[in-house]
Amino acid sequence: MAQKAEGICREEQVVVFELAGQTYGVEIGSVSEIIRMENITRVPRAPEFVEGVINLRGRIIPVLDLRKRFGLPEGEHTRRSRIIIAEIGSMTVGMIVDAVLEVLRIPVDGIEPPPPVVDGVDVVYLRGITLHGERLVILLNLEKVLYEEEKEALAEAGEEIGLPA
Amino acid sequence: MFSDVEISVFLDELEEKIQVLSDGFLQLEKEGSDPQVLQEIFRAAHTVKGSSGVMGYDRMSRLTHEMENLFDLMRQGRLKINEEMVDVLFEALDTLKALRDEVTGQGGPVDIEGVIEKIRRFVAGGERRKAGRASSPDSGPENVPPQGILDLTEVEEEVICEAYIRGQHAYRIQVTVDSQCQMKSVRAFLVFQTLYECGEIIKALPPAEKLQEGEYDNTFEVILLTAEDIGRIRHLLMTISEIVSVEIEPVVLSDDRVQDLVAGDSAEEQSDKKQPMEEPTGKTGAPLQTREAEGPPKQVKTVRIDVEKLDNLMNLVGELVIDRTRLDRLAEIFKSRYGSDDLVEVLDEISNHLGQLTNGLQEQIMKARMLPVAQVFNRFPRMVRDLAHKLGKEIDFVIEGKETELDRNVIEVIGDPLIHLLRNAVDHGIEPPEERVAAGKPRTGTIRLKAFHEENHIVIFIEDDGRGIDVNKIRNRAVERGLVDAEMAERLTDREVLDFIFAPGFSLAEQVTDLSGRGVGMDVVRRQIGQINGFVELATALGKGTKLTIKLPLTLAIIRALMVQVDKQVYALPLVNVMETIRIFPAAVQKIRQSEVIIVRGQALPLVWLAEAFGSQRKEAARVYVVIVGVGNQRLGVAVERLLGEQEVVIKSLGNYLGRIPGLSGATILGDGEVALIVDIRGLVSEFVRGDAVEEAAYAAG
Repeated sequence: MAQKAEGICREEQVVVFELAGQTYGVEIGSVSEIIRMENITRVPRAPEFVEGVINLRGRIIPVLDLRKRFGLPEGEHTRRSRIIIAEIGSMTVGMIVDAVLEVLRIPVDGIEPPPPVVDGVDVVYLRGITLHGERLVILLNLEKVLYEEEKEALAEAGEEIGLPA
Repeated sequence: MFSDVEISVFLDELEEKIQVLSDGFLQLEKEGSDPQVLQEIFRAAHTVKGSSGVMGYDRMSRLTHEMENLFDLMRQGRLKINEEMVDVLFEALDTLKALRDEVTGQGGPVDIEGVIEKIRRFVAGGERRKAGRASSPDSGPENVPPQGILDLTEVEEEVICEAYIRGQHAYRIQVTVDSQCQMKSVRAFLVFQTLYECGEIIKALPPAEKLQEGEYDNTFEVILLTAEDIGRIRHLLMTISEIVSVEIEPVVLSDDRVQDLVAGDSAEEQSDKKQPMEEPTGKTGAPLQTREAEGPPKQVKTVRIDVEKLDNLMNLVGELVIDRTRLDRLAEIFKSRYGSDDLVEVLDEISNHLGQLTNGLQEQIMKARMLPVAQVFNRFPRMVRDLAHKLGKEIDFVIEGKETELDRNVIEVIGDPLIHLLRNAVDHGIEPPEERVAAGKPRTGTIRLKAFHEENHIVIFIEDDGRGIDVNKIRNRAVERGLVDAEMAERLTDREVLDFIFAPGFSLAEQVTDLSGRGVGMDVVRRQIGQINGFVELATALGKGTKLTIKLPLTLAIIRALMVQVDKQVYALPLVNVMETIRIFPAAVQKIRQSEVIIVRGQALPLVWLAEAFGSQRKEAARVYVVIVGVGNQRLGVAVERLLGEQEVVIKSLGNYLGRIPGLSGATILGDGEVALIVDIRGLVSEFVRGDAVEEAAYAAG
C-alpha cells in the first residue's frame, strides 16, 4: 500500500459499475458477490423498483432495479447486465446494473461531497464523487439506496389495494 | 456461582418435576391414594429438594423437604389423602411455581411459611399415628440421632436397587472436614457439587440443607449412587481443601430385600426400562452381578439444541433437494443423448440414491422439530380443575392423544387458543350440577380434549356435553349487533350463523364474567390458528354439547400446495385452503355492481382473477380454471390460467426487506431452481370476500 511521507493515505476499494451511461461505485465491503442476470420472479404488490426475487443458493433474495430506483430511463437487460448482491446490516439485496467494470482502489481524501444534482440521480442516495483518471465515479450510499423513502413506498403499495401497510 | 447453562438445566428439571407433581395431585384427587403415584411425587419432591439445595435456593429446598415428608407418610399409608390435603398440596405447588418465578426473575419474593405450616400440621398428624404403631419390627427408625449411622428407608433401598439395575452402585461416603474449618457450609457445598458430578445423592446426614448451612460437626455422611470408580471419587473429594478424610464403603442390602424389591418392582411398574429385569431367574444373591448378565438397559439420550440450528439444517436440505432435482434432470438429458451408456446408468443410480437420502434426511429433520402436544396439554388439567372449582361445576376432563407430535412452532402458537376454548367450555358449556341433574344428565360434565393425526394434519377436538349453543340466539344477536339484517339472517344456514361467533367483539354471554363473555376470544382464536395455516370449526347441538375442531398443519416448514400459473409465473396455493377446482365458460361469470360472481351448485361465489389481483391483465380463454378456496365458511373463486398440479413446497420467507406483502405469505424454490410465490389465501379472502359481497352473492343465488 502506498504511503506518503507524513499522514496516511487511506484507500478504499470500490466496485465500479455502469448504469445509464454513468459510472457508479459501491464500497467493496458491502458487496458479497456479483452474478449474471437470471430469471427474476416478479413480486406483485411490491414497490415498483423491486424487480422481483431470485433464488440465491436456496435463499430468496429481493432484487432492485437501480434504474427504476433512481428514476433513470428504463433499459433492456443485456448480456453485460449483472446483479450485484449487497449485504447491508442483516439484509441481503440484489441490484441490477448495466455492467460491472472493475474494482478500483481510491484514496479516501479524493472523495468529494456530491454536487446537488448528478444526472437526475437524487443526491440523497450519494456518498460522494471521485475522479479516477479521466473518469468520474459516483459513490453510492447503499443504505440510503435501500431505505430512503422505501418505507413510504411500501406503505403506498399497501394503501393502493386498501389494506393497512 | 452457577453458570446460565447450569441454571437452565436446573429450571428444565424443575419444570418437569412440577408437572409430575401437578399430574400426581390431580390423580390423587380423582382416584385416591395410588402407591405408584405417591412414589412418583415423592421422588419428584426429593429431586427438587436435592437440586435446589445445591443451587442455593434454600427456601425451595425447605418447601420441597416438607412436601417430601408428607408424601413419605402418605406412601407408608400413615396418612390418607383428603380434599383439604389436596388443596394444601396445590397451594404448595403454586408456591413452588412462585419460587421458580423468583429464580427466573419473573416474580417477587415469595412467602413459604404459611404453606409449610399447613403441611406440617398434616405431617404431625401422620407422625402421631406412626408413634402408635412403632412396635412394628420392619419399619426402621426414622429419626436417626445426629452422628449415628445413616439408615435407609425402604424407599431409599428401592432406589438403590433400581440404581443397581441401571448399573450404578451405592456408596456410603463419610467426609470429615478439618475441625478448624471456617467455612463448613462451603466445604459441604463443594462436596455435594463434586458428588453431583459423579452421580446422585439420595440421602445425607445431617440433611443436605443443614449441611449447606454449615450445621454439622466435623463429619457428615451421604449415600451416593454412581457408576464411577471409588478411587476416583475419593481423589476428587480429597482435592477439596480442608477435607481431612473420606471413607467410602459400598452399601450392602440384604439379599431377600433385593429380591423382594426387584420382584415387587417389576410387578408394580410395567415400565419398559425394567423389562430385562422382569424375570430375574437366576437371582441367587449378589444383585451386583445381575446387571452384567443383563447388559446395560436402554436409556433415553437427548441433546438440547437451538431451533435455529434445525432451521439452518432444513434450509440446507432444501438446497440439497433442489440440486438433486437438477441432477435428475441432467441424468435424463444424458440418457436421451447417449442412450444406455454404462456411465449414464451409474449417474442415474447415483441420482436415485441421492433422492432417497435427501428424502430421508428431510424427514428426520422434520421429526427432530416435532414435540408431543403433551407439552401444552399438560397445563390444562390443573386449569380446568381450578376453573371448575371456582364456578362450582363438576367436570371430568379427559385428555387423549397427548403423545401426538407437532412442529414446535405450531405447539408454541396453539396454547393460547386452546386455553380460550377450554375456558369457554367450562364457563359456558358445562352447566352447574343441579341444572344438569334437572335436565336428566349426569351430574358431572365431561370435557374431552383429543389430538390425533389425520393425513397431513393434526386434528384437535374440544368436546363438551354441556348446554350447547342456541343458534337462534346467535341469529338475533347478530341482527342486534348489525352484522346482518333480519331478512338476511333468516336465510343463513345454521352453519353460517355459527360463524358469527368468530366475528370480532361478538359475545353471547348475558353477563360479563372475569373468565369470558367480553367478546374477545373467538375471533382471536380463529386468527391465531389461521396464522399457522390451521382452521377452527364449531358444531353444536342445543342441550347436548359443543364440539370444536381445530385442524393444524403438521409443520410450518413444508406444506402441500396446488401450483398454478398466472402471467408466466408459478404461484403456490396452500392445499389446506383449496376446496376444489372447476373449469367454467367465461360466460358463466355474472357481474353484480363492481364484483364478479360465479354460481356453483346453486351457491354464488365471489370471483377474483389472480392476474388482476396481482396487477396484470387477465387472459381471455375459451375456458377458465377456477380454484375455489376457503377460510372458515368463506369461499372465494380464484381464476387462474393453468393448473400445474400438487406439490410439497418448502416455505421460505420473502425476507425483511420486502416485509409483509398483502396477498403473499412467502416463497418457495421449485425443482428447476425458479422461485414461486406462495399466495396468502387468508389475506385474499378477507380482501375480496366482504360482507356486502356475500350478501350480493347470496342475493344473486336467490
